Amino acid sequence: MDRHDNIYGNSMKILLLVLLLAVPSVVVFAQDGYIEVTAPGNRQLKLAVVSPRSLEAPSNMETAKQVSDVIAFDMNMSGVVVAEGRIQTSIANSALGDVDFASWQSAGFDLLVKGEYSSKDGRLTAEFRLFDVLSRKQITAKRYLGTTKDLRRFSHSFADEILGAITGEKGVFTTRIAYVSTQTGNKEIYVMDWDGYNPLPLTKNGSINLNPDFSPDGREIIFTSYKRGNPDLYRRSLSNTAEVALSNRKGLNMTGSWSPDGSKIALALSKDGDAEIYTLNKDGSHPVRLTVNPALDLYPAWSPDGKRIAFVSDRLGKPQIFVMNADGGDVRRLTTSGNYNVNPRWSPKGDKIAYSRMGGGGFNIFTIAPDGSSDTQITSDGNNENPSWSADGRFICFSSKRSGGDGVYVVRADGTGQTKVSKGAGAYFAPVWSAR
Amino acid sequence: MKNRMIALLAGISMVALLAGGCANTEAVKKDEAVVPTVAAAKVEPAKPVQPAVQPKAVEQVKPVQPEVVAPVAPKPVAPSKFETVYFDFDKSDLRTDARDVLSKNAEAILKAAAGTKVQIEGHCDDRGSAEYNLALGERRAKSVQKYLTTLNVKAENLSIISFGKEKPAVAGSDEAAWSKNRRAELVVVK
Repeated sequence: MDRHDNIYGNSMKILLLVLLLAVPSVVVFAQDGYIEVTAPGNRQLKLAVVSPRSLEAPSNMETAKQVSDVIAFDMNMSGVVVAEGRIQTSIANSALGDVDFASWQSAGFDLLVKGEYSSKDGRLTAEFRLFDVLSRKQITAKRYLGTTKDLRRFSHSFADEILGAITGEKGVFTTRIAYVSTQTGNKEIYVMDWDGYNPLPLTKNGSINLNPDFSPDGREIIFTSYKRGNPDLYRRSLSNTAEVALSNRKGLNMTGSWSPDGSKIALALSKDGDAEIYTLNKDGSHPVRLTVNPALDLYPAWSPDGKRIAFVSDRLGKPQIFVMNADGGDVRRLTTSGNYNVNPRWSPKGDKIAYSRMGGGGFNIFTIAPDGSSDTQITSDGNNENPSWSADGRFICFSSKRSGGDGVYVVRADGTGQTKVSKGAGAYFAPVWSAR
Repeated sequence: MKNRMIALLAGISMVALLAGGCANTEAVKKDEAVVPTVAAAKVEPAKPVQPAVQPKAVEQVKPVQPEVVAPVAPKPVAPSKFETVYFDFDKSDLRTDARDVLSKNAEAILKAAAGTKVQIEGHCDDRGSAEYNLALGERRAKSVQKYLTTLNVKAENLSIISFGKEKPAVAGSDEAAWSKNRRAELVVVK
C-alpha cells in the first residue's frame, strides 16, 4: 500500500475494491477535466490493452490474452476509442504502476490498460488500471475478487469503468441478451453475454417459445410459449427453471413488455376478439384494455418514463407504428414512410424509437424520434428485425439473416460498427437486451 | 344466395334426420360420410402438409368397401382430415374456393358424432413480422369459424388458434410455397 501511495498520491482515492458482483454505481470520474474525447487532429483516441501479468509462476497466456481481447473488443465496439490488445512484454516483476509512458506515447497511444491477476484453487484476484499516457497519470483502477469463471465478467466490468472514465457514463458490457434460437429444431429461449459468449438455454420444452423480455432488474424474463397448447405468457427467473403462467387468457397472450418501473406488463391479448393492447399487473392480474379498434394492435413498447407506449397497428390498412399515452389516450401515428413498419422499441434515453421496416422483400432497422422526425435507416444488408436497445442507448441489437451469417448483431445507434455477436448455428430471433 | 339457402336447408334436414334416426342408422350414415371426406382430402394438392396422416386415411377407406361391416362399428367416426382452406397474401377474407371447401368441411362436422370438437388453426406465409403474422393467423382462423357457424356448425364445438408463420406446411420462399402456407387447417380435438 505504501508503494501505491508513494507513486500515485491522490490516485489512490479512486482505487476501488469490488467484491464479486457487488458493483455499486460509484462512478469513477475523470480527473482534471479528462472528458470527451477527441485527440489532437480529430483522430480517435488510441488505447493499448496489455494482457495482464500472472502473479503465479507458470503464467497462462491464454487466460491473460482473454482479458485483453475482451476489453479491446468492448472498447472498439463503443466507437469511442480505437483499442489494440498487446501481449505482455516480459519485464520481470514489473510493478503495475511502472509504466514506460514515453515509449507508449511514441507508439501513438493515448491510453493504456495494465493489469495483474492471481488464480489459485479456483479463486481469482484481478486488478486493472487505466493510464493517461500523455499526462502520465493513472485515471482509474479496480480490483476484483471472485472465481476463475468470472474472468470475462471482470474484464467487461473494467471496460465499463474505462468508458465511464472517458465519457462520464459507464458502459453496459456486463449486460446480457436473451433471444430465441432454433438450434435444437424448436424455437427455444436462450440468454448470452452481450458479446455472444456463455450462451445458456432457458426453455427446453420442445414447443414454440417467442418474444422474451427482461424485467428491469434483469433477473427475470417474460415470454410467450405454446407449451400447453395455447400461446400463453409466462414468467421465470434466470436462475430458476420454474415457469409461472402470467396470462393464459383465451386466444393470443403475446409480445409482453415489462414497464420500466417493473410494476406492469403491456402485451397484446385477443380474448375480446382481435389482438388489442392491454396492461397487466406484474402478477398477471387486472387487465386494462388500452386500444379499442377492429384492427390488429400488438407489440407495445414503453417509453423510459413509463408515460407513453408505442405499438403496431394495421388500423390504416398496413401495419404502422403508433404512440399513445400509457392509459390509451392521445393516439398518434408515428411512422409515415414505408408501408410495413413493426417492432418498435423505445431508447432508454427516450430520444429515439427503433423499429423494423419491410420493403423490397426484406426488413431493415430504422430509428425515428418520438415526434416522427429524424427517420433514419440503420441497416441495409440482408433481413434485419426486432431491434432492442442497450441500457445506455449506445447500441442496438437485432436478429439478422444475411450472407455474412445469420445471428444476433449489434450496431451503434448511429448505424456504424455492425458486428455479429452470437456464436452458434441455427436461426436467431427476437433478441432483447437486459437493463444494467 | 339461393345456393346458400339450399345448403342451409340441406343442413337442417340432415340434422333433423340424424336427430330422428335410431342408433343403428345413425352409425351407418356417419360411416358413409367418411367416404367423401377422405376422397376430397386425397384430391387436395397439399400432400406434403401432413404426410403422417396419409396412411391413416388410406386405412380408413378399406373398411368402408364392404357396406355390411359398417353398422358393426361401435361408434360414429369423427372425420380424420378436413380440407385445408387457403388465403390471399395479408388477407383473412374467404375466397370462393375457400367457401366451397368450408361447405364440405361443415357437412363433415355436422355428420360427425355429436359434440365433436374442431380446432381451426390459422397460418401465414413467411413474409412479414412473426408477431404481426400471429395476429393475422388468428384473424384467418376467426373468419373460418364465423363462416362455419353460418353453416350451422355450433360455435361451442369450434375453437381457434393461430400459429402465425411458425408452422409452415411447406418449406420455401416463393409463391408456390407461400400460397400453400397461407391457410387454415381444421383439426379434430381429441
